[in-house]
Amino acid sequence: MRIFKKCLFTGLAALALLGTARVASAQETDQVGRAAYIDGVKGKKVIFVPISQGMDLNQAWVMVWQRHAARYGFTLEVRDPNGDTNAGIRAMQGAIAEKPDLIIVQNPDVQTYARLLKQAQAAGIKVLQVNMQSATQTDSYVGNDWIEMGRLEMGELAKHCTGPNAVSHKVVWLAGVQTGAANIYMRTGIDEVLKANPELQLVSDQPADYISEKARQITETVLQQHPDLCGIMGIWDNAEVGAGAAVAAAGKQDQVTIVTNGAGAATGCESIKNGLLDVIFNFNAPTQGEIAAQQISELLQHPDRKAGSEKTIFFGPITRVDKTDATGRNCWKPEDIK
Amino acid sequence: MPGSGQSNDRRLGFKASQEVVVVAISVVLFVVFSATLHNFLSQGNIIAILKNVSILGTLAVGMGFVVVGRGIDLTMVAVMVVGVAFSIWISTWGIDFTLAVICGALLVAAIGLFTGVMVAVAEVPPIFATLAIASSVYGSGRIVFASDVLYAPPDIAWLKFVGNGSVLGIPMSVLIFGAVAALMGLFLRKTRFGRLVYATGDNPNAARTTGLPTRPIIVMQYVISALIAFTAGIIMTGLVTGIDTRLYNSSLIYDVLLVVVLGGIGLSGGQGGVRNVIAGTVLVGILTNGMTILNFSYTSQNLIKSVILLGALAIDAIINPRDEQTSQSGDI
Repeated sequence: MRIFKKCLFTGLAALALLGTARVASAQETDQVGRAAYIDGVKGKKVIFVPISQGMDLNQAWVMVWQRHAARYGFTLEVRDPNGDTNAGIRAMQGAIAEKPDLIIVQNPDVQTYARLLKQAQAAGIKVLQVNMQSATQTDSYVGNDWIEMGRLEMGELAKHCTGPNAVSHKVVWLAGVQTGAANIYMRTGIDEVLKANPELQLVSDQPADYISEKARQITETVLQQHPDLCGIMGIWDNAEVGAGAAVAAAGKQDQVTIVTNGAGAATGCESIKNGLLDVIFNFNAPTQGEIAAQQISELLQHPDRKAGSEKTIFFGPITRVDKTDATGRNCWKPEDIK
Repeated sequence: MPGSGQSNDRRLGFKASQEVVVVAISVVLFVVFSATLHNFLSQGNIIAILKNVSILGTLAVGMGFVVVGRGIDLTMVAVMVVGVAFSIWISTWGIDFTLAVICGALLVAAIGLFTGVMVAVAEVPPIFATLAIASSVYGSGRIVFASDVLYAPPDIAWLKFVGNGSVLGIPMSVLIFGAVAALMGLFLRKTRFGRLVYATGDNPNAARTTGLPTRPIIVMQYVISALIAFTAGIIMTGLVTGIDTRLYNSSLIYDVLLVVVLGGIGLSGGQGGVRNVIAGTVLVGILTNGMTILNFSYTSQNLIKSVILLGALAIDAIINPRDEQTSQSGDI
């Protein structure tokens, strides 16, 4: 009996010890700060007001953010105005009225939402702007350094269209929407390069409105006027395929260099391979989305910081892609992100 | 041509029809641009002008056909982008692209049929019916297709020919526009059906009372205009390798109306024809080409275009004054 009792006690003691040891080890393996992080992020509400979800970059961002939201338990709602500025204003007003923890916004131009963003900040809602800025600076901006983008693209043309071997010094800037942030800031960068290379001659500066057929028509007309055109720079690969088509139809693919920027989607790489585009400055929308996802986390984690009290800017990476490297990670497909 | 336009013209001492006014403006612009702009009067630039208006012109032929019948078809751009995008979308399932295009054409014809029934049978005023249907068609497309921009498969020989081919130095896009315009012209002038369209447009109630099949005529108009819109979409896909459904949000549909009204097809129906559409198209083509060469800003281009539309509407109102008969229901 005694032996049995002793065994029982030892057994129980051993179990108890093991138990405490287990608890102790569980406490040790919980990643430092993770519980607090999840606590801060979980159950929060984020609303995204894009320009249009039909664009490749938007799809990449939202896929990345949805994954992030599902993993850490916050909600992300997309209020798509589908390119309609008035619908966008209503979406923004609705979002502000709902008092979410964070509004993400892609501005159609620098003015439209400027006052609404101030209102949101005054109402204590944090605002993250992605890729297209407003005149109002808010908590955070994640996106392109558009002035640098203008410099890079015109710099690329300067390489081809200056010097003794250049076919001419004539270049074209196929703009997007003239009031858009990308357009305004790229122009600053372009002007810097034009100033540094006075022999470059900007022969046309017309907005194609992000529409390929319009880009094609402008390019076709300009090519008639300037058959010795050297280079074209644009603002979105999906629009500049139209410029490429006009150059190809004129049989001038070897003469005219076409430079643009894009989200890095596989369709852009296809356009390079088809010879419609020469260089895409790729801002890799999935990577941009990841940077923004971390920014979302940061803004949600610190509810004590007042909306608009700190203003940060994150410029994403820009990769130059031409026919030698239009493969792999430079050309994402939606199914790769999911 | 039916209508009381000629007698009004005489009364005003204004013999020129709107078409003549538009042709005169075109000639003046052409001469001024030729004299002042380097390379404007080159063979290449003339072809570029025609090529750049081929899509607009094709759409305008369809719109003009509907307007002659006292209707209006605001679904054209939606039908064009969604029809072609649908074809490209189903071709990604592995269906042969040519077959996919035929499926797209059938879908588009079905949409046209529905629009026609809404206008002719349900008697919804065409401006409202087509505005609502345009929005639904585009919206449905927007839900189905993930992206705004859809690229056609790269190795379709006939599509490449549509985009880059030419016959006797004339680009295929221009030839297709010419063919659509010629067929429509013959159809309106030479066939009984075409004459019935004028009769219906001139006075729908009188046409119905005399026993004309006005409802089937109206339904057919919308089917045909939808198919013409689809043709324009195929030209565009050939030219730029894909279709951008966001065109629906652009001012294209108004540009199409501009061409029709500018050319002198009265919105009160029953008048005008393909010649008017061509006159309007050529003026817009010359104007856009000149303004692009002059590197006018987007805003000023739109301003100039709008002023011309307003002017055309004003001239239309003077030449074809509204009276009790023409301002009956169906007129917009």
